[in-house]
Amino acid sequence: MTGLGVTSAIGIGARHFWQAALAGRSGVSKLTAFESMPMEAYRSQVAGQIHDFSVGRYIQGALAERVDRFAQFAMVAATEAVADSGLQLDREDPRRIGVMVGAGMGGMVIAEQEYHRVYQDLRPNRVVPNFIPEVTLNSASGALAIMCGAKGPNLTISTACSSSAHAIGLAREAIRAGRADVVIAAGADASIVPLTFAGFCSLRALSTAFNASPEKASRPFTRTRDGFVMGEGAGALILESLDHARKRGARIYAEVAGYAATSEAHHMVVPREDGLEIANTMAMALSNARIRPAQVDYVNAHATSTPIGDVVEIRAIKHLFKRRASQIAVNATKSLVGHALGAAGALAGIVCALTIDSGLIHPTINYDDPDPDCALPGISERAQERSVEVALLNAFGFGSNNATVVFRRCSI
Amino acid sequence: MTNGTDIALRVRTALAAFLKRDVATIKPGDVLRDDLGLDSLATIELLYQIEDAFDLEIPDTDLPGLVTVADVTAYLQRRAPEAPPAPAKPQSPSR
Repeated sequence: MTGLGVTSAIGIGARHFWQAALAGRSGVSKLTAFESMPMEAYRSQVAGQIHDFSVGRYIQGALAERVDRFAQFAMVAATEAVADSGLQLDREDPRRIGVMVGAGMGGMVIAEQEYHRVYQDLRPNRVVPNFIPEVTLNSASGALAIMCGAKGPNLTISTACSSSAHAIGLAREAIRAGRADVVIAAGADASIVPLTFAGFCSLRALSTAFNASPEKASRPFTRTRDGFVMGEGAGALILESLDHARKRGARIYAEVAGYAATSEAHHMVVPREDGLEIANTMAMALSNARIRPAQVDYVNAHATSTPIGDVVEIRAIKHLFKRRASQIAVNATKSLVGHALGAAGALAGIVCALTIDSGLIHPTINYDDPDPDCALPGISERAQERSVEVALLNAFGFGSNNATVVFRRCSI
Repeated sequence: MTNGTDIALRVRTALAAFLKRDVATIKPGDVLRDDLGLDSLATIELLYQIEDAFDLEIPDTDLPGLVTVADVTAYLQRRAPEAPPAPAKPQSPSR
């Protein structure tokens, strides 16, 4: 991993994001994205929104204006990641550069806008010509390829909330299989729009008890957690083969050392309560990396702040790591930015890279009322200083989908 | 308590329709999860239909108390003592 880029509710740019994360700043605020709606009809009224985002502030040109908000987020993050890596894309073989983007929902802003035009206004003949290219789930990976001139494998992975964890894992596999030297792995979603948000409300997946104190609403591992907070954003990571990175003298944040993808084949939206499938996914990823559980220092937990999800993940961590579980640092990036769906895995991967690089573990904010069933000594409301050699990223998605990615300090 | 009996019957009828079962097989003491086989998502779907039928909103904080069919009936008796018959509800623009 040689380059990082972030578009998030606590900062545009990896540096701003990381400073805010270490300071424990919440990006969750009162929902203002669609104030023309009858807001009292939304059970949840908080979200991790990126306020006042204008793509033109970061990227010039028609392409950025012609893609949906989630793809704009991805373009901004990828532009930063490429610059951060020091890659001179015009000096690379374009066919050896791939793009892999995780996205859960796709172009939801234009989708809802144009549904309105057809169903409410009854004007199907006035649907905008760019609707299909913009709504399509792979519009972000397409836009990144065009922006970067990347002619290698171009894939979109959609597994709901685990999408971009898979993008990182599959990017690594593409490089290891010799299909690319460089892969831009990213995740993006921007679904804080009236219908999609209402759908998550109806599913009773979102926090509803903290509408009056938004920054308290995302509170993983606490007794008072009551659902996730919808977020949005993008993360981008430059992955390249070790040879390629060394030849050009690149700064290496960390190595993507292992990956596992599994299905629980259990339930569309609820994990198995015993946590065994999650434990198995983590074990498979460690085995893939040839790393023993006892070597793991840090877990970036999926931890969305739902009553069931958090406790199941901790159960899985205790099951796999046994006594080691009490020595591992664990945090929840979603306590800061909410759940950015398809972007969550990429943001977590960036956190893993920055944690290994800096030896600092960002706080899990709002951890002021620990749930005994989720308690581990390594969860803290404060930033922790600790040398991390091996980090684990967990990401679980609707559709019974699990992913774990293993990161290791690059010692070469 | 004609109204209470009405509500009980409406809840059982709604459940029977949801589960595609004979209403006579739905007992007040049935536990939604264990006896009727409703998982968390199915429970939420059922409550969504009950909200529609009784024109009310059931907050998340009330969900843990809704374990049996009788719990749902008692809850609705408290919340909707004069609930209109199911089909009479006007469609709210927010749904």
